[in-house]
Amino acid sequence: MTTTTIERQPPAAPAQAAPAKPVPGKASILLLGLDLGTNKSCLLAGPSGSTDITVSKVVPSVVGYVKDGIVDGIITNNARILYGEDALTQMLHVDLVAPLAEGVISHPDAARDFMQHIRLLADPTGNAEIRAVVGVPANAGEQARENIRKSAQGIFARILLIPEPFLAALGYRDDSRVKQSGYVDPVVNSLFIDIGGGTSDLCLVQGYFPTRDDQISIPFAGDAIDDLLFEELNRTYPNNGLSRITVREIKETNAYVGPSRKPMDVKVVMGGKSRSLELGDAIGNACNALIDKIYPALATLIASASSDSVVTLLQNIIITGGGSQIKGIDTVLQKRLTDDGYENPRVRLAGQDFQRYVAIGALKAARAARENQWQVLFG
Amino acid sequence: MSALAEALHRFDLPWIKVGKIYRRICFLRSEGLALDAQQLEETELAEATAQARRFAGSAFEAESILQKLLAEEKERVADAIAFAEIIVPMLAERLGSLAPLPAARDAPVPRKALRETPVEPRGIADFIDDMLTQERRAQR
Repeated sequence: MTTTTIERQPPAAPAQAAPAKPVPGKASILLLGLDLGTNKSCLLAGPSGSTDITVSKVVPSVVGYVKDGIVDGIITNNARILYGEDALTQMLHVDLVAPLAEGVISHPDAARDFMQHIRLLADPTGNAEIRAVVGVPANAGEQARENIRKSAQGIFARILLIPEPFLAALGYRDDSRVKQSGYVDPVVNSLFIDIGGGTSDLCLVQGYFPTRDDQISIPFAGDAIDDLLFEELNRTYPNNGLSRITVREIKETNAYVGPSRKPMDVKVVMGGKSRSLELGDAIGNACNALIDKIYPALATLIASASSDSVVTLLQNIIITGGGSQIKGIDTVLQKRLTDDGYENPRVRLAGQDFQRYVAIGALKAARAARENQWQVLFG
Repeated sequence: MSALAEALHRFDLPWIKVGKIYRRICFLRSEGLALDAQQLEETELAEATAQARRFAGSAFEAESILQKLLAEEKERVADAIAFAEIIVPMLAERLGSLAPLPAARDAPVPRKALRETPVEPRGIADFIDDMLTQERRAQR
């Protein structure tokens, strides 16, 4: 398996590469596992009938439309649209559009452009028939699903939409150990907490496909923490000039939950001058708000588990997604459960592949899907 | 007269032919046979539709009939498939020792029963079946 890489755009970025339409009956089939995230998307691809992974990328979910009047040569190949890291690097010269908000498509045109980019990354030849399993937030409505299908129409040949926390469980599962005694299969009895940019999704996974009652999606996650921190910074340090992207970077480096870690001095550049800001309380308060949102949902799902399964379930609470990188989030949730009298709870972090579990699960699902389970996209 | 026949008699014969072909297309799509469906759409359906349009008073009327007909047929096929998913496993069970048919995987299973079933490692495709069954039930 290849290692995760933040995308480095290939130099040849022509003005909006057109999606190559699959050629029915002739094209090879490429399977794609796609975690379409609000801030970052992860894709894994591999040929049908093999276990090889030919593409593994994490791409910032952003499309940059080059502004009018940009001098020739400023943008490589005079491209009109940039994606991911390239768009962020050229943010002065482009209008940045995030295709998703709160886990669902908010800008359909940008989403479609982004899908075309994903296709190009997965299959640079443009000849393969792409079959994609795409993660959707738990409890995503039919409109949100339909928007994904529309964005993918004519770009992917077939699609399957599966809730993200379930895919995370599939991705986290070590298939080589499933039949070993002593291995606790996360798909058999666990509770996944997938904290992304737009939504925090909680899902009870108990050996069958989770029903709607087994999943809770909360529109409060990384972006909401950014907003709280941004507001607090503007209140405490007016006219600081810090962009949302900088605030997000501050959060990603320093995020924590639990008791105040004050003093926490964070170096920033304001007005061209280096300054040290004390952000212990600001960061702690913003991140602890996430705990206050997640915990009631966690308790609700635990309460819905049968008495036979709940003791084991409490041993298998797993946090994944970008939010799993918030320092102390596992211990704080575990302590809160213990303090509330839950029997010997154990909350774990999914680990270093936290950005990829949904996509890994999606690719596994793509490889296992039967012919008649795919939804055909006519384009 | 059956409900189906009654419904079909609301349309003139050429449109009924269009409906029958479109029903086959819907069924092929539901089976994942997109290429076959596309072929049928481009040949038989296109020809039958062209003939039926001549019986309409205007292009607008023809389009209205066509859209109504296609929507009805699509719904009818979806209902039939859903019905079959429920009835086939029941029949198989009543007929004794017949091996479970593939559609049995889609039969609704009470949530409580799922929870109480001793858990064996299941295939991912079985989970996807569960998911698709849930989605179909939610849409009905």
